[in-house]
Amino acid sequence: MVLIFGGAYQGKKDFVLAQFGLNKDDICVCSPEKAPDLTKKCLANGENLVLYCLNQGVNEMSYFRCNSALFEDKIFIFRDIFCGVVPLSKEERAWREATGRVMQYLAGKADRVSRIFCGLEQRLK
Amino acid sequence: MKILIAGGSKSGKSDYAQTLALQLAGQGRRFYVATMIPFDGEDQARIASHRTRRAGMGFETVEEPRHLLRCLENGPGAYLIDSVTALLTNALFPREADYRFSPEEGERCLSELLAFARQAEDAVFVMDFIFSDSCRYSPETEHFRRLLGTAGQRLAALCDTVLEASAGQIFIHKGALPK
Repeated sequence: MVLIFGGAYQGKKDFVLAQFGLNKDDICVCSPEKAPDLTKKCLANGENLVLYCLNQGVNEMSYFRCNSALFEDKIFIFRDIFCGVVPLSKEERAWREATGRVMQYLAGKADRVSRIFCGLEQRLK
Repeated sequence: MKILIAGGSKSGKSDYAQTLALQLAGQGRRFYVATMIPFDGEDQARIASHRTRRAGMGFETVEEPRHLLRCLENGPGAYLIDSVTALLTNALFPREADYRFSPEEGERCLSELLAFARQAEDAVFVMDFIFSDSCRYSPETEHFRRLLGTAGQRLAALCDTVLEASAGQIFIHKGALPK
């Protein structure tokens, strides 16, 4: 498993496309409203997958643990949405914290963890 | 040599960028490209504070909040652009158009910024890092974030060195610090 994360508009998807020789069809851009296509090699906007879990009333950690075998060879891309001011809305707070928890879990499992900053890789694991 | 330095508010990026510009200038000229169009007293105070901090460093101030390429008419030297954020803000929300959202002007400004980065010999670009929160912004603000993010990526590709400032500490993402 690979975990790539970073701020918005930092070139995370472009980095994954170039680094792992993928094309756009290999990427599922996760949505908060729709179940992800888990046949794709790369799941992008993982923060939206977490939000999808919350919207469905599914515990995010259970979801990722239940799918751990399937997720073993995936590339995850997350936006690090948790560095700003604590949001006023309860839902947004829950989303932000759940995303942080999931990323810690995935980072523990992943062979490679990198942060993308202005298109550049900062290898963390 | 060209350097991009990005970081959050009060991360120490401007102070460090000044030091870098002095190193790049050596015995030569150093230009401080003033980009901010002050909106209120808070901006005036920020400008005054930046002026005080660079006093005695030998910078020639070039007021160019709009057309970066014109700066190069000053001739060779180390250019300190503080900041890319202000330049793009000035373009995207122009004061003379009552701050009305102007995406075309934003694109033009980005192109000029990249042309400047290609043409300048020695430059330090300061940029705010505003990309790591969960806020849902208006479409105009989101457009601004995308433009700034794109500018960061494109500048990072053009620059020899890319730095991140945090609590006054520097992390090197690309290249090396000037000797």
